[in-house]
Amino acid sequence: MDGPPAPRLVHTVLRCYPARWRRRHGDEAAELAALLIRDGAPATAIAGSYLAGAGRAWLTPRPGHRVSAVVCALLVAAGALGVSTGLLASAGPARAASTNRASTNRASSSRAGTHCRPSAPAFVPAVTPAWARPPLIIPAAVHDRSC
Amino acid sequence: MAIGKRDGQAEPDVLRRAGEASVLILVSLADGPKHGYALIQDIKELAGVELGPGTLYGALDRLERLGLIESLPTDDRRHPYRITAPGAAALRVHLDSLERVSAAGRLRLQLGGI
Repeated sequence: MDGPPAPRLVHTVLRCYPARWRRRHGDEAAELAALLIRDGAPATAIAGSYLAGAGRAWLTPRPGHRVSAVVCALLVAAGALGVSTGLLASAGPARAASTNRASTNRASSSRAGTHCRPSAPAFVPAVTPAWARPPLIIPAAVHDRSC
Repeated sequence: MAIGKRDGQAEPDVLRRAGEASVLILVSLADGPKHGYALIQDIKELAGVELGPGTLYGALDRLERLGLIESLPTDDRRHPYRITAPGAAALRVHLDSLERVSAAGRLRLQLGGI
């Protein structure tokens, strides 16, 4: 049985659904919309319902995609950790140097009897942990020649 | 009310968080397979609720993913849906749970004299 054609608005909204949904329900959904409009339902209400449904369809994770989403999240986390570790390793010696200079200045100023305003405490790593240090790479050719 | 009890064994109420639309669809399918338009008409008649088509297809997809309903093969554009055995069991558990809540509510209203 062919129902009356659904209005253009409903067809446009149905295009917002994911392709897999449209393959499965697209024709039936258009026919259902046409039947409901024939029964007196406003086309805008039907289009609104389909639009909300399309949003839900995009947001609902597919069972097969959960594993890949977890893998992607782990890769992003690992990448972020690697970048922050690299930054920490490169900034470590510089911070340590500036800390030494500051403490030297503080010591000299206290010796001179001047008053300093206390500054906000800041975390300054005194020693770079082993896992944060950049790997030391020695080229094999140079190593062979020297030995 | 998350657990229903049948034959002395606890069964989880999988429909507790499934939403009203999912429960209404299962109730409508309990007496035989129906397609989308028939489901909307039947639910309007039995519960006075007008399900939007977007809500209907969202609930149908969710129920199918949970294995509580299945789509029947057809040459037509319309797909009839049928409740499965796990779907019927889940509906029974959920209705039992609702009955207990309903009975407790009525009793308390009576005791409270409201």
